Formats: sequence, C-alpha cells, structure tokens
Amino acid sequence: MVRRSTTTRTAVVQVTALAAASALALSACGGGQTASADAAPVATDRDIELSLVWWGDDDRAARYEEAVALFEEKHPNIDVQTQFQAWDDYWTARSTEAAGQTLPDVFQMDLAYIHQYASNNQLFDLSNQLGVNLNTDDFDQTVLASGSVNDGQYGIPTSTNTLGMMHHDDLLDELGMEPPQEGLTWDEYDAWLREVSAAGADHDPQIYGGTDYTGTLWLFIQWLVQQGKTAFADDGSPAFEKADLVAWAERTQPLRDDGVFFPVERAKQVEPLTGMQVGQAATEMTWDNMMAGYSAGAGSENLDLLPVPTGPDGSAQFWKPSMLLSSSATTQEPDAAAALIDFLVNDPEVGKIFGTSKGVPAVAAQRDAMEVDEGSIDDKIVGYEEHVADLVTEDTPLPVEGYGVVEAEFKRLGEELSYGNITPEEFADQWFQSAESNLGGA
Amino acid sequence: MSATTTERGRAAGRGGVRGTAATSSPARGGGKPQRNRADVKAGYAFLSPWLLGFVLLTAGPMLMSLYLAFTDYNLFRAPTFVGIDNFTALFADPRFLKSAQVTAVYVLVGVPVKLAAALAVALLLNAKHRGQGAYRSMFYAPSLIGASVSVAIVWRAMFIDDGIADQVQQFFGLPAGGWVGDPSMTMPMMILLAVWQFGAPMVIFLAGLKQIPAELHEAAAVDGAGPIRRFVSVTLPMLSPVLFFNLLLETIGAFQVFSSAFIISGGTGGPADSTLFYTFYLYLKGFTEFRMGYASAMAWVLVLVVGIITAVLFRTSRAWVHYTGDVR
Repeated sequence: MVRRSTTTRTAVVQVTALAAASALALSACGGGQTASADAAPVATDRDIELSLVWWGDDDRAARYEEAVALFEEKHPNIDVQTQFQAWDDYWTARSTEAAGQTLPDVFQMDLAYIHQYASNNQLFDLSNQLGVNLNTDDFDQTVLASGSVNDGQYGIPTSTNTLGMMHHDDLLDELGMEPPQEGLTWDEYDAWLREVSAAGADHDPQIYGGTDYTGTLWLFIQWLVQQGKTAFADDGSPAFEKADLVAWAERTQPLRDDGVFFPVERAKQVEPLTGMQVGQAATEMTWDNMMAGYSAGAGSENLDLLPVPTGPDGSAQFWKPSMLLSSSATTQEPDAAAALIDFLVNDPEVGKIFGTSKGVPAVAAQRDAMEVDEGSIDDKIVGYEEHVADLVTEDTPLPVEGYGVVEAEFKRLGEELSYGNITPEEFADQWFQSAESNLGGA
Repeated sequence: MSATTTERGRAAGRGGVRGTAATSSPARGGGKPQRNRADVKAGYAFLSPWLLGFVLLTAGPMLMSLYLAFTDYNLFRAPTFVGIDNFTALFADPRFLKSAQVTAVYVLVGVPVKLAAALAVALLLNAKHRGQGAYRSMFYAPSLIGASVSVAIVWRAMFIDDGIADQVQQFFGLPAGGWVGDPSMTMPMMILLAVWQFGAPMVIFLAGLKQIPAELHEAAAVDGAGPIRRFVSVTLPMLSPVLFFNLLLETIGAFQVFSSAFIISGGTGGPADSTLFYTFYLYLKGFTEFRMGYASAMAWVLVLVVGIITAVLFRTSRAWVHYTGDVR
C-alpha cells in the first residue's frame, strides 16, 4: 500500500528537515564600524538608556544593582538596563550579539577575549574618552596597558589578581601536616604533595595533597615565564617549543601514575566545585581572588594563600586584570558609556560594594574604601597582593586572539592526561594542533 | 490536498482491515480535476502558516548554512570561501571521529533497547486490566518531562558518588563509585536515560496493537499456536509498519541527542569526551570556538548520514515490513 508509506515518508522528511534546522540555526552578518565622534562631557539634558552586561552569580548581580542605583542617582537622566549570565553562556550570547552588531553599551571583558573582539572592530576605542568622561590617572600603567590592543584602549581593568597557592588548613591540621613553605621549587612542592597524600590515604574521606595542575594554561605560562621564556609571540602564535609543553606534562606524570592527585573521576563529579571545596584537596593553585568562592564552597575561613612555586629566579609572578569593562563599537552613547565605566572603576563607594569579589580593585581609592575585617578572606587576599607585590616582576603575558579556545583545549587535554588516555607527547601534539588553527588570527 | 490524502488513506485503511485489496489498489488514479484544483488551493492556503515558517525559519537558514559549510566564518569577520577544506579537515580531526563513534554507539545500542522496552510495556498495557488508563499515563509521563533540563540534573545526581546508583552498587557489594566521572560508564548512563523515556514509541505501539484484529489471534490459537508463536507470527508482522515508523523516528532522534549530554557533562562532552555526541561537538565548534563554517559542514554531514540511513531503512523495509492488504 503506497499511501501509508508516503505519509510516513513525509513525516520523516519533515522530522529530518526540522532536525537539520535545529542543528543549523546559524545566522550570518558581517561588517563593522567604529564610532569616531569626538568625546564630549556626557549630556544631562536628555534621557539616555544604557545596557550593562556581566558574567557572574547572584551575589555579583546584587552588588552590581547596588552600584548601578548609585550611578543613576548621580545621573538622573541615565537609565541603566542590566543583564547577566554564567561564564560559558555569557560568551555564547556575546558572540551572537557581535555577529548581529548588537553588543551592549558596557560589558565585562576578559583578557582571553579582548584581542579577538578588538581586532574584529567590535569594541569602542576609549582613547578619546580619556580625560573627558573617563579618568585613568590612578591606574598602574602596566595594568592599564593590558586593556590596550593595537594602540587602542579597548578595555579598562576593574581589578587585578595574580596566581597563588591556596591551602586549606582545616585539612592539614587534621592530618597533622604543616602548610607548604614559601619559596618551594616545583619539585619540592610535588614532594610535599606526595607526603600529604600518603598521610591522608586512610582518612575518611581520603585527603590528597592537591589537585592536578597540569591542565591549567596560566600555570604553565607562569612556569614558562619563570624560566625566562615568553608565552606568545607578537603575531599571536606560541613562542615556546613543543618540548617545553612535553616537559611540563612529563614532570607531573609520576604523580598521576602513583595516584597522588585528587582523582579526576571525583573532580568531574563535584564540578563546579573543586577538590578543595569538597574538603579532599589540601592545596590548589588558581587566581588569588577566587579564594572568597573557595572559602564559601569549603565552608571554612581557615584558608590562606602562598606564592606559586619558584623557578630559577623566584616566583616571577605577574598581575592580570581579573576583568575589564569594554564598550561596544556600535554604542549610540559613547559618552555615557565611558562615564559608567569611569564610575565603576573609580568611585570609592563602588569599591566598598564589591570588596575583593572581582579581584583587588585596580584603583587605590577603591582599595582604601573597602571595609575589610581583620583576618577575613578579603583581608587575606589584599594582604597577599601586598606581600607578593615584590615578587611580581613580569609584565602581563600578551592577550592573544583565540586564547580562550586554546585555554579550554589545554584543560580538556589535561583531563585526558589525568584519565591516562594520552601521553605527555600526545598532550603537546594535540594542543599545538589546536593552537595552529586557533591562534595568530587563524 | 492533505484532506484528500487523509480521506483516501482512511478508505484504504478500512479496506485493509477487511482484507480486500481491491478497494485500496487503484488509489493513485481517479478523481475530478476541477475539484482537485480548488482543493489544492485551499490546501495551500491552510498550509501557508507552516509553509511560511518553513521557508523563513528552516529552509533559509539551511541554505545559508550550506553556503557557510564551504567557508571559513568566525561570526566576526565576513565568511571567506575555502572550498571543501572544512570537509577534509573533519575527517582528519580525531575529536570529530570520536564524536561520530560515540553517537554511533548511542544509536546502535540505545534505539533497539528503547524500542524493546517500549514494545514490552505496550504488550503489558494492551492486556485488559482495571485502571489501564492510569498505568498508561504513568508510563508515558517520563517522556513528557524526559527531555527537560531538570531530569538531566536529577539523572546526574542519581549517578554521582553516593548517589542512588552508587548506594545500590554498594549494597550488592559491587565496586563503589559514581558513573558520572568514569568515562566507561557515562554511555550506559546516557542510554538508560534514553530508554527510560520510552513513552512515545510505547503509545504508538499500543495503538498498533489495538489495530490487530482479535480474529487472527483466535484463529492462531485454534491452530494450536502458543503465546510466543502468536507473538512472532501474528503480532510482530502485523505490527511491523508501526515498528518501522518507531525505528525511523527513534533513530533520527537519537542522532540529535544534545541537552541531556550538555547537562550531565557540564557543557564539556566529558569526561574524556565520552559523551561528546555529534550535535554537541557541532555546538562546541560553532559556539565556543566560533568556527561556524566547520560547524555547518558538520551539520550537513549529519544531514547526509541521516538521509542515507533513512533511505537504507526504507529499502530494507520492503523485506520485513508487512502492510495489511498489501499486494505484491
């Protein structure tokens, strides 16, 4: 009977078509433009609407709303519409907006993406707003420079952070172990990890010295910088050799083979928490401002920070803006957008509202305005940054186009290493493959 | 036009049930042309909302993506034509091959198991018992909520360390540990989630079972056929069109699994790419690496593969799908 199967076939064709359509909801737009109008003091005689978007959680949203309310009080004719997403969704939304030329007037930017957005003419060059609506006099020049791409000021850093080693003293106390000493070399740190993991083997739940840090690209860069090498060349391609990457992955291989690290099977299950936050890893290395979240996750104030392990010339650390604020190239209100950025990075009240939750404020007036309780996590973070200020000897590694992608690939390959699916050589090979097709404007 | 088809289909269906081939065979011919033309116009008028949606929201983007598949496009810069580079790059990409393999396992194992479960439950529910309606609704419920994000989250919670699955394992003295972090256990977990959502094919099977004339079973029973023999020789052949329909839909659906994998793997396709389904890798390429050309090429490879598999299924169906009243 022909008809019956025809109806079925039509249904199938429809389903296939719909399937394809849902798989292919891709749209296209092109071109770009740069606002070139001269900067003028922000208008007060007409209503202005601005959009402000950030990534973060509810806690950050509440702080932003408070800051925005203050801004609107000072500029009664400006209405700020806010919106926020979690990190991953945030970049998906922004890239879609970029394709449609509808990026927000002001939005949070990260070092990993600023090059890509700026060199594709998506961002407003704030240079001509400097001294008009936007004051950057109180900035450290190297910190401010991290927001500049091809001689344009495309982002203003709000706050800084640097890498550090967090240790969870509740866990160490329970095992009767001391925190690692400051100034350990990487090998000495690895030896310390072994000791702690051995001591914690019979504890319930099992306690490990730390989490596998091989898959964190920033830590690899830190390690590289300590040897006097550079991460990326001016054209955005890797400036190091494959052998460097193999060496990096190989030096932690014995620890993986012997089960010293917090197991990856567990790590994947407790995401988005980490080994330290679930009380099973005594140390973890990450950005210092993350300690607030780690402390909340671990349910303990008994966390502290140390500088990262050292190379031949000490820890050779660098500042990184924890985030920047950028404005869209298509903004209709560049003056007001610049004024909002100025308010968010300079106003002491805003510093008070955010504390160290976005990193330590880049501007002294905001740092001084923070109400920090002695011994609190905020206090420890600020104290740590003051302490390591002498150890910070390096410029922020260049933000390169495509960094976000190769960073994610680095992390993924690090997991494959942890699962024992690939060797250090394959780790290096596969990462370089990804770097080849994603870095250097490819 | 659609109205006429339904009419004829119904007539043919009645003919089929009576087993008189003659009423249904001349279906293609006949009819008055004038009336047909008016019908066609009315048909298109009624179809127009769907047609508009199809052209604007489906066909347009599909054509665009076909073009993009031959370009290098990162959302920011205008697409540049690169010929078939995307397609050759695909087959040299180990993660693409991995995603194809993961998806193939999911389809080849998940679909038969799901259909078997659906058919088994449908057979149970086909028997006459009190409160069958309530049971039917209960068994169908997972399918209504199955595709949702919340169920994927619950599923993940069931299979992590100290989740329900882990506790059951420990109770029976099996090795402990959640499935979520173990690359060899995530696929069984995903397949179980799919199988659990057997409601849609079950309902269709149930409708099919209701269509099988009781006389056939009675006749077979009189001839001495036991329950198994009756299932194999009466139920299965009579059910084969429905089975075929379900097989097609479920196969096509399985190729597109996405949201559950997205939630369970935390948006990574991990651990160790064990849940890197095809559409998921497509999403990663397109929306995290911004390689839209590459992603479009992947989409079209999927369309081709699904098309070929559908065609093959239709081909083979001639051998095993039995339409009542069919004349061959």
